[in-house]
Amino acid sequence: MAIVLTERMKGWIELMGCHLCVATPEGVPWVTVSRFAKVTKPDQISFAMEKGEIGVIEAALSQNPWVAIGVSKQGGIRAAYQFKGKGKVLRSGTEFDTIRELATGIATDAVLIVDLTELYCTKPGAEAGQRLDIMAPDAVDAWEKARWTDIPGK
Amino acid sequence: MVTFTSEMKDALRVPGKGGSLIHMATSSLDGKPNIAAMRFVATHGDDKILISDMFLLKTKMNLKENPECCIAICHPLDSGRDWVFKGKAIDIEYGFPPDFNWYGVTAKEILDKWGDWATLEPPKEVPPDIVFPKPAQRGVVVLHVEEIYSIEKGKTGERIQ
Repeated sequence: MAIVLTERMKGWIELMGCHLCVATPEGVPWVTVSRFAKVTKPDQISFAMEKGEIGVIEAALSQNPWVAIGVSKQGGIRAAYQFKGKGKVLRSGTEFDTIRELATGIATDAVLIVDLTELYCTKPGAEAGQRLDIMAPDAVDAWEKARWTDIPGK
Repeated sequence: MVTFTSEMKDALRVPGKGGSLIHMATSSLDGKPNIAAMRFVATHGDDKILISDMFLLKTKMNLKENPECCIAICHPLDSGRDWVFKGKAIDIEYGFPPDFNWYGVTAKEILDKWGDWATLEPPKEVPPDIVFPKPAQRGVVVLHVEEIYSIEKGKTGERIQ
């Protein structure tokens, strides 16, 4: 199924920062953070990355495009998700310029664009690890609304 | 060899005791990463981080085939807890031989102290709509930390220890 990020998910991603995890082809994980994220398509997130932030993950990412994403400021949210997809690093072009312009306060060295393919619920308990991208986008939206109604930033 | 600072030890506790939620990152052996937030966290000695195996799925599967692991504070962006702890982890489950040894700690000493974590440190600070209805602990993940690097703005990637 195609992923369509819900309004809640967009709010978390864009307001709370993200932890990004990549791995070498041999399975050595590396974690970095991004302080600016923008949902640029229903199933795509773009991150403005400072030099050090992209430096932690770029070597692994050049060999293995998988990126796992968690929301940084978890303390105040009602349940969370893990997002997974494949990433590419840009240092020029329209997409790079657009994100760099939006990311005020960030010394953007690179833009990481992640096309999402997997979505998981990470709420502790019975639904931990439930894969949600197997559901139609409308069903995901309804599933979420039946559980939580808080929307970050609203 | 690393040595946790007192600030790190303060952060690596359950949130109800002044600690932080953490992100635990693992990978399958063929390089598919996974990252999940955890509440039950503690330190053991100066170089080990403990996590409760309560609802682990992918994390558990990954650790069964690949011990490589990173732990980062969930919300470092305004807390000053800007570290990533990197090393090798194992899920010490009930049924491990008591004398099983992971970088100097035994299964018995870990499970005797932390094997019923929800009773030891109940999640009183967790809002009722997201707290788990019933704990189901199966073990304790022990991360032996070999490297610590920064995710502080402007210093991300710099090795601290």
